[in-house]
Amino acid sequence: MTFHERTNVQTSEPMTSVASVSSDQISRSRRPVLALGAVIGAGVVASSCAAQAPQDTWSPAGENAQMIHNLQWPIFAVAGIVGLIVFAAVGYAVWKFRDRGQPIPEQTHGKPALEIALTILPAVILAVIAVPTVSTIFALADTTDTECVVNVTGQQWWWEYDYPIADDGSICGFMPTAGNASPIITSGQMVLPVGTKVLVRGTSRDVIHSYWIPRLNGKKDMVPGRVHYLRLETDTPGIYAGQCTEFCGLSHANMRMEVIALERADFQKWLDNELKPYQAPETAAAKAGETVFIQQCARCHQINGLVDPINGELVVSAPDQFVWSGAAPNLTNLMMRNTFAGATWDLLSPQCRARVWEAAPEEFGERFLEGVTPECLNTVDLREWLRNSPAKKPMYADAEMLEVTDGKTRGMPYLALSEDQIDLLIAYLLERK
Amino acid sequence: MFTTGSKLLLGSTALAVVFAIVYGVTAQGTLGVFGLLSAAVALGLIAGINIYSGDANVSVDDTAAATVAAAARQAPTGSPWPVVGVAGIALVMIGLVTTSMVTVIGLVAILAAVIEWMLQAWSEHGSADEAYNGEIRARLANPLEMPILATIFAAIVILGFSRIMLALSKVGTVVAFSVIAAVVLFIAFLMAAKTAVASRTLGGVVAIGVIALVAGGAVAAVSGERDMHVIETTAALAERGQCGTEPSEADKKASQTVAAKSNQAATVTLDADGSLSVSVPGFSPSAQSVTLPRSNPNNVLFRNQSDHERRLVIDLGPSGDSESKTLCTALVEPGAVQLLTVMFDKPSFAVEGGHRFTVPGVDTAVLKVVVP
Ligand code: HEC
Ligand SMILES: [Cu+2]
Repeated sequence: MTFHERTNVQTSEPMTSVASVSSDQISRSRRPVLALGAVIGAGVVASSCAAQAPQDTWSPAGENAQMIHNLQWPIFAVAGIVGLIVFAAVGYAVWKFRDRGQPIPEQTHGKPALEIALTILPAVILAVIAVPTVSTIFALADTTDTECVVNVTGQQWWWEYDYPIADDGSICGFMPTAGNASPIITSGQMVLPVGTKVLVRGTSRDVIHSYWIPRLNGKKDMVPGRVHYLRLETDTPGIYAGQCTEFCGLSHANMRMEVIALERADFQKWLDNELKPYQAPETAAAKAGETVFIQQCARCHQINGLVDPINGELVVSAPDQFVWSGAAPNLTNLMMRNTFAGATWDLLSPQCRARVWEAAPEEFGERFLEGVTPECLNTVDLREWLRNSPAKKPMYADAEMLEVTDGKTRGMPYLALSEDQIDLLIAYLLERK
Repeated sequence: MFTTGSKLLLGSTALAVVFAIVYGVTAQGTLGVFGLLSAAVALGLIAGINIYSGDANVSVDDTAAATVAAAARQAPTGSPWPVVGVAGIALVMIGLVTTSMVTVIGLVAILAAVIEWMLQAWSEHGSADEAYNGEIRARLANPLEMPILATIFAAIVILGFSRIMLALSKVGTVVAFSVIAAVVLFIAFLMAAKTAVASRTLGGVVAIGVIALVAGGAVAAVSGERDMHVIETTAALAERGQCGTEPSEADKKASQTVAAKSNQAATVTLDADGSLSVSVPGFSPSAQSVTLPRSNPNNVLFRNQSDHERRLVIDLGPSGDSESKTLCTALVEPGAVQLLTVMFDKPSFAVEGGHRFTVPGVDTAVLKVVVP
């Protein structure tokens, strides 16, 4: 029977040397692993003490975040204690009953008393925790005490804010000094009065995004076709950073946002400034820049009150015809914000940035309201943006790949502007405040 | 005495001789006769050797050869896969001149044939035991085959069944569904009850069922779907400019079509006194205006608190090349609600007179919409 003898795998080769490693060698080889673990652990602990942590959930800066904080501390403590007890019990059992060659002890199956106790105990703990949790959830969902409403609309990859007008002509609870209420529309930075109960009414124009300012409240998904509500309230003037927390495509990481909290008097100033009529360009460069803007940018970007000198007609943007989400940032008062393109880059130069961002609360409002001055403009990033925006921020703007979106871009396309055009545009944009 | 091979050779020799005589008599050619006689001699010689060697049957002398020689190996079992593979190649070619779908099917057939044939050939080398070979083949192939076969089977059933259902009349579908379901239930009952029905009978019934399904599905697919009655929507009304007070088909059972009753951007209410008001969370109810974002579908709930059937209408102003676009809800019974999804592509300041909600038949019902 030689023919159909089944072949056997050759196993005479020595496999690995596991068997020959002594226990002494094992413990020596584990030492670096332990050391590495200790370093990582220490690093994690140390990183939690970071001074520069603008998106720190553990330092609440408003009533809503404080409510969450008041809930999460005791629960963290309870969970921590339970965790410690469990780990200690497991550790004890592992050590006490470790294998010393003793015979396997008698096996028992089922111990109803213990099992029932271990079912009831966690249930009781969870029930106790549920009481403050549920009441906090309801408190955070309350909309009846609203003093100011802001509509937030997410799109790839920036946030738009609009401030609706109430029946009495007020905006966010403030009466425009000049009495000329019209809706304010801006992007990236949401300006709010301190100590005011704000209700964000959020939605999205394309995919699901999520709005999160960690120091002010929890996250809220912004879903196309739905309106979701989020309360915000700040105690202290300053800048509160956040970022989109629902993966939303190519530049999700570049979809950031800030809440700018101003003293009530400063907010009034900001509001009045937003409502003032269109500021015609002053310098010759800015005047030429206006023309370039009308030719190159106005089809997507609205500047309120801009009139085309050629035909004397109001310039109305039509981003719905060029951009997939149907919107592009309103640039009427661009230089009153200090970040751009999804709050990803600074409009303030590095020298001027700290003066505003690290200002003491008493000084913050005044400095923020100065807007971006010609000396303080971060020309580097803005020029790069105008030169080739999709190269700076990944966006679906490649003409060859736009078939699926009917030729519409997601984000701002490359516009092939000359350096001269960019100069003129910057001169024009610098006066937008 | 005579082995199989020598019978053949002896017969051939005799035939050659007979042909030589017949040829010689009828055609009278010497060359042909000579050739045929030579063949007869050669065949006779081979027949002699063959008889001597006993059909080259080595086992006659050497009994061990019966189990050891190459000839003693199991002949490969029959296999359908070469045929499938060839059919695949043919399909690929047909597909190249007709539609690409056929090519794809051909490629799949070739792929399946290659894999299956290789598996089969491999398993046949496993041992001399056919049953064992079958087993190792199944162990490797079944995890791949079963899901694919099950999917194909399910697809055939679903496709056939759905085509039949789409082609039958409305009543016919109910009848067909009931009958088929009853038959399936009955067969399942028979199988479960393990009655004396032979498994062969059952298999036959199931096979007939599947064939009927496929055939019926094919016929139904060819004959096409029945006429489906499409209920008109309010979009059609808007297109024809019929957002007035006249009822139409789109208005039938209007309040049953409300979706997304929660989570609207705003609720617009027509009060008994003929005024429109709006409520938006965070604001106190307003009788003047509502702010809705641009370039985004807004769900507005219309609540009719008046005593008549009414619909909510919005004029979107001129857009593109069209004159003026209007959207409306269906006619809403008193006390009922309807949803209107509206998208503004222009800010209000760019539309003459701005955007506003109105209710045909109620002149006082006007609500301004602010689109920033
Ligand atoms: C096809 C539409 C389109 C055109 C044309 C266009 N943009 Fe943009 N622009 C966008 C979109 C969309 C964004 C938002 C990109 C992002 O942040 O993801 C944007 C962002 C910007 C921003 C940042 C605004 C902010 O608030 O963060 C500036 C500044 C800007 N564009 C300037 C210009 C200028 C100047 C021109 C003319 C030379 C121009 N854009 C032309 C679509 C366009
Ligand atoms: Cu996002």
